[in-house]
Amino acid sequence: MQKIPGSFRDPSGSVFNYQNKIIRSVSKIGEQKYLHIKNNNIIEESIKNNFLINTFEIDDVFLKEKLNSSFLLEHQKLEYVSYPYEWSFEQLRDAAIHHLNYQIFLLEKGFELIDASAYNIQFIRGKPTFIDCLSLSKYQEGRPWFGHNQFCEQFLNPLLFTISTKVLFNNWYKGSLEGIKNNEIARILNFSLKINPVVFFNILLPNLFDKFSKKKNLSDLALINNNKIRNNFNKNSYFWLIRSLKKFISNIKNPLTPTFWGRYNEEKTYSDINYSKKKEIVRNFIIKNNIKNVVDLGCNDGDFSELCLINGAEHVVGLDYDHISLEKSYLRSKTKNLNFLPLYFDAANPSSNIGWYQNERYGFLERCNFDGLIALAFEHHLAIAKNIPLGELIKWFLDIAPLGLIEFVPKNDKTVGIMLGLKGDIFPDYNEENFRKILAKLSNIVSVSEVGDSGRKIYEYKKLR
Amino acid sequence: MFKYSILFYTLILFILFPSKSFAYLDPGTGSMLLQALIGLMATLFTTFYIFLNKIKLFFKKIYYKIFKKK
Repeated sequence: MQKIPGSFRDPSGSVFNYQNKIIRSVSKIGEQKYLHIKNNNIIEESIKNNFLINTFEIDDVFLKEKLNSSFLLEHQKLEYVSYPYEWSFEQLRDAAIHHLNYQIFLLEKGFELIDASAYNIQFIRGKPTFIDCLSLSKYQEGRPWFGHNQFCEQFLNPLLFTISTKVLFNNWYKGSLEGIKNNEIARILNFSLKINPVVFFNILLPNLFDKFSKKKNLSDLALINNNKIRNNFNKNSYFWLIRSLKKFISNIKNPLTPTFWGRYNEEKTYSDINYSKKKEIVRNFIIKNNIKNVVDLGCNDGDFSELCLINGAEHVVGLDYDHISLEKSYLRSKTKNLNFLPLYFDAANPSSNIGWYQNERYGFLERCNFDGLIALAFEHHLAIAKNIPLGELIKWFLDIAPLGLIEFVPKNDKTVGIMLGLKGDIFPDYNEENFRKILAKLSNIVSVSEVGDSGRKIYEYKKLR
Repeated sequence: MFKYSILFYTLILFILFPSKSFAYLDPGTGSMLLQALIGLMATLFTTFYIFLNKIKLFFKKIYYKIFKKK
């Protein structure tokens, strides 16, 4: 049994990986809260309305005793867990709207979400889903929205950062796991955002209050006298705050993406023979090896990822550095309801184990559970553009998945030529012969197919046990 | 003037912070103050609205009295 380290913050329960199942135990502190949720069938209703991941109670006496818990829940197991710093702008925006919609849904039923962690949302078939049922709590009239500040830091501020600076939020988010703080974003926002009433009200004003109270040590005073309860923040105000945020977030636009591909274009822009040949190779690879869980490195607009799904793959994770490609992929997965998860990925600096004790959020390799890899027109971006030695690169590919397709792009290819033209040829070992030698040392080369006139070749490998 | 503003915010904090929330995250003082302000404004608006209705009712009553007399 393995405790999932990211769940340590919540005192009302913990999450475990037990016999390949995701189990959530309810602690003594969380019992009363859980019973109230259970008695009101709120979990079932949330699942029915597509807000919450499939969750059901299990009755395992041995486990209950072992975990010292009266209630155990099992969650649907995700093929791949993603984090907000790996999402595209549209993914984070949809996740934010999902959180607010769920909060509205719960409030109408007399419940609420006690926090607003973006890590509590995962993507299934291109749709955001909430995963932490112990974040639900009975709504108490007058109690303020405790997650407001967290919502701003983890959802709203990263979006505002990109709107304001036209720079992706991902790298900042990865360096600051709790999101972007109000006092940080307040310094970055451009004038038009600063005068926006929603931004002013939700970020700038609380930031001013925060500064003021710190200066005057008011928060200490309040904590000492925290027994004075007064129901001040009524339900209508709660709804108003959430709906105003939802309206604002629904209307914001990603400043980095051109508008012409606003609607996913069914027409294929690729028509050359080599592209069809590549498709045929991928199709055969998936069908022949009965691959179920695929990673598509450099997924572009997700065309090959979709091809994998059509030919029998159950889940594809598409990784790309380019945000326009990512948004196209996400739109594809969303509109076509594909089990395809596109994520932001800098292959030369992939997500590592970070957070508390350096394992709160898992790295890329730690999360890898793929049986097939596709790396088409990808290898040269690392070997040539990032100076990664061929040997290490091939070893890395094999660490990701035991079976795969790697396209080798030779030096006489036009793209590589441009790369080398600027850099100078500092790669004497970069040639097909070397590539083949290293790959053959670590794996069985199943097949080699030429795609293109420049000598590009797709190698199919099977890792040696 | 500053003393008054301190008094005002202190009061809000006194009013606002619940005794037992079992919240494991720090809600943020600024956000809590904002919501206190929204709450206060909502209360003020409601009071004002009720007061306005009372005035309206008062004049309506007078109007009907005159109308009936006619």
